[in-house]
Amino acid sequence: MEILLLNALANGILLGGVLALLAFGLNLIFGVVKVIHMAYGQCVMLGMYLIYSLKSMYEVPLMAAFAVAVVAMALWGALLHLLVIKPLLGAERLNQLLALAGLIIVFENLAHVVWGADLRGVRVDLPVVSMGNIFLKTSNLLAFLGALVVLGILYFMLQRTYVGLAIRAIAQDTECARLMGINPGRIYLLTLTIGGALTGLIAVFFSPIYSVHPHFGGSFTLMAFIIVVLGGMGNLAGGFLGAFIIGVVTSVAAVFTSTEWAEILALVIFILVVLVRPQGLLGARGAR
Amino acid sequence: MRRWLVAAILLAVLLFPLLKVSPYVLHIATLIFIWAFIATAWSYMGRFGLVSLGHGAFIGIGAYTAGLMFNHLALSPWMGMLLGGALAALLALLVGWACFRFGVMGDYFALLTLALGEIVSLLLVAFREQTGGSLGFTLKRVGSSWLYLQFEDKIHFYYVALAFLVGALLLWHWIDRSRMQKALRAIGEDEVAAATLGVTTIRYKLMVTMISAFVAALGGVLYAQYVTYLNPHTLAGVGPSLDIAFKAILGGMFSLWGPTVGTGIIVLLEEYIRVNYGAKYIGLSQIAYGIALVSLIIFLPKGIYGSLEERLKRKKARPQK
Repeated sequence: MEILLLNALANGILLGGVLALLAFGLNLIFGVVKVIHMAYGQCVMLGMYLIYSLKSMYEVPLMAAFAVAVVAMALWGALLHLLVIKPLLGAERLNQLLALAGLIIVFENLAHVVWGADLRGVRVDLPVVSMGNIFLKTSNLLAFLGALVVLGILYFMLQRTYVGLAIRAIAQDTECARLMGINPGRIYLLTLTIGGALTGLIAVFFSPIYSVHPHFGGSFTLMAFIIVVLGGMGNLAGGFLGAFIIGVVTSVAAVFTSTEWAEILALVIFILVVLVRPQGLLGARGAR
Repeated sequence: MRRWLVAAILLAVLLFPLLKVSPYVLHIATLIFIWAFIATAWSYMGRFGLVSLGHGAFIGIGAYTAGLMFNHLALSPWMGMLLGGALAALLALLVGWACFRFGVMGDYFALLTLALGEIVSLLLVAFREQTGGSLGFTLKRVGSSWLYLQFEDKIHFYYVALAFLVGALLLWHWIDRSRMQKALRAIGEDEVAAATLGVTTIRYKLMVTMISAFVAALGGVLYAQYVTYLNPHTLAGVGPSLDIAFKAILGGMFSLWGPTVGTGIIVLLEEYIRVNYGAKYIGLSQIAYGIALVSLIIFLPKGIYGSLEERLKRKKARPQK
């Protein structure tokens, strides 16, 4: 039992790394554009299908398929911005939420029409890494390390580059940033493009771990929301912390009960956080 | 004038089955009535700024309570309906109180209720010993029976569903003329101002939330009785919850006829595409439905019927200038 628990803990931390990337994308979009991207997990799903198609049907080398997926998903993110998010920028918050929720229906059924309901996956044979009694899948470990590297790069970009400064300025005060000569429209487009590229990267990390199906994105979108709210909406550091909490809690809970109960637990935590501490664990007061 | 129009529409709908229409047409009409009933119940609270994305929780609780009670204890669904409705209202009381007490509003309220719907769906799957899990379960067939709300032919259910829908619309009317409406409208416009004027905001919001949950649960029972099959993914969870909200919003949640019109349009659109193109590409109808939905939210934020109504009003107002 102890060993089982230890393994769950280790895998939970690894899962947390990738979830942190997912939460980062959602947080970035929320922080900058002030829109809750309801269909974010579904974009990851589309990226995974793209990798599957390139690898299995067109026999593209895996690395090339990965690269194509990241670029394609970045463009997809930009396209979504132009077609759906941009026309809704002045609309009521609730309408933005609902329109993006409508995209869930479009994406899931698109996947259904193109790839069918079966599980699809790319087979990558990697050895299992063992440390004492803890066994880790190499694919999980690579995903974890990859996610950390990407997060590091993004952090550096936000803190040290001119574009990053512009993005942070828009997130803090759109009007003021506009007066300083920053074009919000371009920053929004850029943010959604980065967010899209992130869904592509997550798809890359997920592909060796999971098989994809049309409803694959749903549970991850919900998971990403839970994390983002837990850490405080728009709070990047909070999202990072929240991802590991949720990753560990769900992995450990799944060992003791079943995956349904683990998910229920995560959702109950989510509801309690919204009720009692809506600004999130690390959020400032009055952030709502 | 308006009253006559409503009477004429009602008469037409009542006499419609006499035209010897096919069972298929009756089936579609019945589905529209049932979902319009649920969407109307959703709008009771939606139109006062309480946008719930978790009404799947309530229809699921209603349907499963009545269905399990019927299958195991042979309890009449009429009783099951009241029981399920009461349970749904109780949950609404609990969650509503917590939300209103802690001041959860707007998109936070929407997200919280979204989680609620998913929790109920997961619970229905987790208790698979009793509920059949993801596969759901079928209701025992007893032939045509008013007591057990099962009918061999479509026509009975057509009238039952229609009666329920009319009831829901009348209830809307009743809420509209009650004290609750004035209080809730004040709350919807400016909650703080209403509270300072002495409106007990929490009580009215709870009341309308519980009514909405109760009626939605009745709709869940009705749907389960009609298709005689219960599944956690069609009766609870994110999908159905969003569907209900979309139907009401698409039609226009602020007008009495909005949810009904929205449901009618969506169901007919889905059926049309499914019949004409569905055989080739399963899921295509849903894609078109999703795209239509997103574009309608972008271009007609007040909903189809709501926008139409507004335009008519403007036209009427012009000659008086």
